[in-house]
Amino acid sequence: MALAGAYKLFDQENDVVKNIKATISSGIWSGGTGTLTTFFSQSANSSSAGKYYYDVYKTDPSSDTEAEVQFSIGYGHLDGSGSLGTVGGATGNRASAAIHAQLVNLLLPPNKDRFTYAGSVTSKHFFVLSLKRARMREKMDPGNWELRISGSVKNVGENIRLIDDSNSTTDPEAGIGGRVFNVVTGSITSGTTSINTAASSNPGGGYGLFYPDLGIVLLNADIVDASASISVNTTSNTDGGNVPAFFSSVKGGAYFQARREEKLSSTHYFVRAGNKEFNFSNNPTFFTASTGDFTQPTFFKDPKVYITTVGLFNNSNELLAVAKLSQPVLKSYSREALIKVKLDF
Amino acid sequence: MGFLNNTTITVDAILTKRGRELLARGNNEFQVTKFALADDEVDYRLWDTSHPNGTNFYGAVIENMPLLEPVPDETQALKYKLISLPKETSRLPILDIAVPSLTFQQGGGNGDLLSPGTLNSTDADLGYTFLIHDTAVARLQIGQAAPGQTAPLVPVNLSSEEITNSQSVVGLTARVVPQTFTTPNKKKTQITVVGNQTGATQTITVTVNKTVLGSPASPVSS
Repeated sequence: MALAGAYKLFDQENDVVKNIKATISSGIWSGGTGTLTTFFSQSANSSSAGKYYYDVYKTDPSSDTEAEVQFSIGYGHLDGSGSLGTVGGATGNRASAAIHAQLVNLLLPPNKDRFTYAGSVTSKHFFVLSLKRARMREKMDPGNWELRISGSVKNVGENIRLIDDSNSTTDPEAGIGGRVFNVVTGSITSGTTSINTAASSNPGGGYGLFYPDLGIVLLNADIVDASASISVNTTSNTDGGNVPAFFSSVKGGAYFQARREEKLSSTHYFVRAGNKEFNFSNNPTFFTASTGDFTQPTFFKDPKVYITTVGLFNNSNELLAVAKLSQPVLKSYSREALIKVKLDF
Repeated sequence: MGFLNNTTITVDAILTKRGRELLARGNNEFQVTKFALADDEVDYRLWDTSHPNGTNFYGAVIENMPLLEPVPDETQALKYKLISLPKETSRLPILDIAVPSLTFQQGGGNGDLLSPGTLNSTDADLGYTFLIHDTAVARLQIGQAAPGQTAPLVPVNLSSEEITNSQSVVGLTARVVPQTFTTPNKKKTQITVVGNQTGATQTITVTVNKTVLGSPASPVSS
């Protein structure tokens, strides 16, 4: 009649299955949705930070106090064109040069100063989309995103539909920014990837580069400018307004479908309650406080209890994890219970 | 002929604060070795032996109730554990401490002796675990040692702060000695007593009032 009856040791060989790996994907945007069709910026974007990047929201932050940033967009130029300031000349923060250098530093090896797209096409400037880490958690799911930006491209329709070519790439290039895929025109809305023009066949190279492990989509501004008619302003020492222009183009496309991907490591604990175990309770409604009699006389020699909670303990009786059942499960001398408790790390 | 339901119940567990702490420390300190079951949220007075549909429906009200999600606070989970006892058990063990609460005045002597007893069973061999949650209010001393030796059995869930400030002793009786403090004027804590053989548990409140000295007598005018 000892309290040891409240705890039961796991048979580590048979009851515990450790290190089960599983890849979980889900909608990347707030609320777990997979498609974003409304795009809002904040008035604060017009401040100094807005020269570098715009935060993009799913709902209007001016009216929705719980609006969350979904991703940010920016514009980078090797020489700092399209932003105020020159080297050793006019004052200004050279925002586009800073963004360009930042991404080069992050994604390219030390001996490179600009991005090279498919077909060995290089460009001095780019547009960038960087997903909020809280949204993508671990990484973006390659082959499962589609961004539409307003503009026109032959045989595609009103908007440019951009996807990555991971579906046709068996051996992706991996640099210091992790895996890299080309951004191409196509669609995934039919459920399968449909690429219009392979990056290597595109005269100007691919539309850009996709870094799923960092949640970064880099678009060649030359190609986007030609297709989407953004009219990129590359005038020196001039605030070209390229970031708001690109935001307008993304907003005009009104479609960004994406998934995130996480690798989870789980341990499964098989909780086995035999027919002679766990048939009584410390619950104050199970017995009377004055005499200890069962509150239900029918429980004598045939007690019935309900399992609602499973606790996982260490040797010091410290509660390390807890699981709740969706509904109480009856336990008695004529019933056994097998509950699989899944603990994700 | 219908299909038999052969599915296992699968539930997702969440880490408690203590579990997260041990996991973050590394050093292989996160080691799940045992489990316990509980029936928190269940009120057995809802068991209806007069249900018109018969015995299979006595527990229908309980079985159909939705349950709350788990919370990471280990002090709020598994309050009422399921236990294994012999089938013939007719009464559950109850701990009788005789006093519902203790109140002391600072400097009030050697404190009081707690002598619990166990109804419907016995804890005479392994004695009781006495646990005071805050030693700034009072401390425990073993009154009479138990014949058998056992480590303190602390089935109650304590918060991290309580673990730091608590004290537990094992014996048949224990003396509660009030502590001195300057502020505030009154301090309260709880003593949990657990039968080391039966697991029967009882909690009482301990209050210590600060001794307020009277103002000095006025000088006698000549």
